[in-house]
Amino acid sequence: MSMKHLIPAALAISAAAFALPAQAGKTLDAVKARGQVVCGVNTSGPGFSNADSQGRWTGLDVDFCKAVAAAVLSDANKVKFVPLNSQQRFSSLQAGEIDVLSRNSTWTLTRDASLGVLFTGINYFDGQGFMVPKKLKIDTAKKMNGATVCVQAGTTSEKNVADYFGANGMKYKSVVFDTAEAITSAFFAGRCQVYTTDMSDLAGARTKAPNADDYVILPQVISKEPLGPSVRRGDDEWFEIVRWTLFAMLEAEEHGLTQANVDEQKTSNKDPNVQRFLGVSEDTGKLLGLDAAWAHRIVKQVGNYGESFERNLGPKTPVALPRGVNNLWTKGGLMYAPPIR
Amino acid sequence: MKTTAAAIGDAAWRARQRARRVREWLVQGAAALLLLVVTLGVAHNVAINLEARQIKSGFDFLQAPAGFNIGEVLFEFTARDSYLRAFVAGMANTLRVALAGIVLASLIGVVVGLMRLSHHPLLAGLGAAFVEVFRNVPLLIQLLAIYLLITELLPEASSAISIEGVALLSKEGLQIAVPEAGRDALLYALVAFAIGAAIGMKAARRWLNVGAGLIALATGAVVAAVTWLLAGAAMGWSKPVLDGFLISGGASLTPEFLALWLGLALFTSASIAELVRAGVQAVPAGQWNAALALGMTRGQAMAGAIFPQALRLAIPPLASQYMNLVKNSSLAVVIGYPDLVSIANTSINQNGQALEVIAIIMAVYLSLNLVVAVIMNAVNARVTRPPR
Repeated sequence: MSMKHLIPAALAISAAAFALPAQAGKTLDAVKARGQVVCGVNTSGPGFSNADSQGRWTGLDVDFCKAVAAAVLSDANKVKFVPLNSQQRFSSLQAGEIDVLSRNSTWTLTRDASLGVLFTGINYFDGQGFMVPKKLKIDTAKKMNGATVCVQAGTTSEKNVADYFGANGMKYKSVVFDTAEAITSAFFAGRCQVYTTDMSDLAGARTKAPNADDYVILPQVISKEPLGPSVRRGDDEWFEIVRWTLFAMLEAEEHGLTQANVDEQKTSNKDPNVQRFLGVSEDTGKLLGLDAAWAHRIVKQVGNYGESFERNLGPKTPVALPRGVNNLWTKGGLMYAPPIR
Repeated sequence: MKTTAAAIGDAAWRARQRARRVREWLVQGAAALLLLVVTLGVAHNVAINLEARQIKSGFDFLQAPAGFNIGEVLFEFTARDSYLRAFVAGMANTLRVALAGIVLASLIGVVVGLMRLSHHPLLAGLGAAFVEVFRNVPLLIQLLAIYLLITELLPEASSAISIEGVALLSKEGLQIAVPEAGRDALLYALVAFAIGAAIGMKAARRWLNVGAGLIALATGAVVAAVTWLLAGAAMGWSKPVLDGFLISGGASLTPEFLALWLGLALFTSASIAELVRAGVQAVPAGQWNAALALGMTRGQAMAGAIFPQALRLAIPPLASQYMNLVKNSSLAVVIGYPDLVSIANTSINQNGQALEVIAIIMAVYLSLNLVVAVIMNAVNARVTRPPR
């Protein structure tokens, strides 16, 4: 067995065998003492988390980690990124190797209720789709009977594709790889006719093709894939901080607060919601175990949700995903934050 | 003649022996007790921590539907089947590639080993080069390289390399024509092999007196092949046909299986070749001289006198090479072959029960290798003659 596969197992076993039971409130203290938020991210997910040649991480999930660090440690750069593949992610969180898992992971009942982790919210509404080479002239997923399908091990995609083909009375042969890199290289080499995963991943993978125009993403979306960050169970205080960090990013967008204007808005904007949000009239941070300026720092250092989306996934990026359902509820999307008061 | 402890030594010696036995029992007992306490302690702590972290545990999940599909299986498997059945399918895939690997590695290993012993410089050089290359490059790299070659260099299914009606080679793997009822035909061939081998063995013992085992294997294989072809002729052939972008009919070896099989066989055969060479060189030179003095040619001497003795020396280390091959088959995950570990990996992620699944993996590999050990010990006991 290669080391790579021993790691999650060893983590899980050592965590279960030797660690003391988790105690509430300990994560925040540990993060402060360490001076760093340890954040689990995708090894390679263009637009979500990707390291450039200098080792700088960018992406929607990466920005979320930075926002947590800005809120808790006052510095968005105090994050240690731990790249994880789909099989390691939950073991790593269970074992306490990371403080937050922000790695485009689907929120499902099984994961929420049996893995010892809790999802804190949804930072991207996704769905599973299919990518095929253009030359096969497949225009609908219903024409894929008998196809060889490349899929990543240990993902919800693996189950969804079985459900979809089963429900439509179609057969397929799966080839299961353990990393996204292995899949894209096998798919672009022509080992499979179909690559299935979340739509956003497909868009990212397509940018890595020798010639992106040779591949099409089919219109069918076969599942709901609400992606979001998660934390270990048993630490409610930390859970609240991570949950409200995302809400703060959404709330900032709703009020039109951006990285560029937040300092000026702090004094000029007299909207009581904004005054409260930026810690001018009330100290909402105290209730979370943080200080009054926590939300101000998130916007100042990382930006609001919309800014993060445009920067990493928007039309100007290679991934070029439409905002779609990930727009704010006020603009016809699903993104909605409870009031911060 | 039998001697008991009581029949030798004086009273003081016997007392010392008794004290030694008591001491040994005490030490062993204490060690066993310590092991038990540590094991129970760890198990207890695991249980408490799983509970505290609210992580589900237990083996109930084995009965639940797996919900995922397996790319290639030896029997019918659908997403509605249980995790247990998925594990069995994975184990069958592991066994399949391990057995095929052991056979191919042994064949290549013996041939290359004999090549290295050859007096012909070209043969010996080729053999040496083969061993050095395949023994010194990590297996993981070899697997990735072979898989890359297969998936990059072979043509798409729609323009497969074809031997009309017999075989198709493409990115979809190797498809070959097989008799209609493939499973029955295989069964007939297996029976034919047993009969052929038995007859071959008898005949060789009666008339040739050397190499009975090898001759038995060869006749068995020929008879089995003929039976299989006859079965095909009688039942008709299921031929691989290209149908749109898909290939149907025939039996198929996927690129994943081919890559893993070749990789395991080549890597292990390099070590087996060295065992063969070491075994042959360990046979005393006097045996060579005696065989040549009796008028045997070098070939006859090798087949009749040297090789059987070399085999005897090579079997114990050979067993450990076979076990390595079984364990190395777990590298399947990197090239997407659905072996036990690959399926276990998927399971861990679907249900999050890492501890239980890892325990299952360990138990399966342990059992498989114990079986290999038992078989190889039996073979060893059979070929080893008491020293004369």
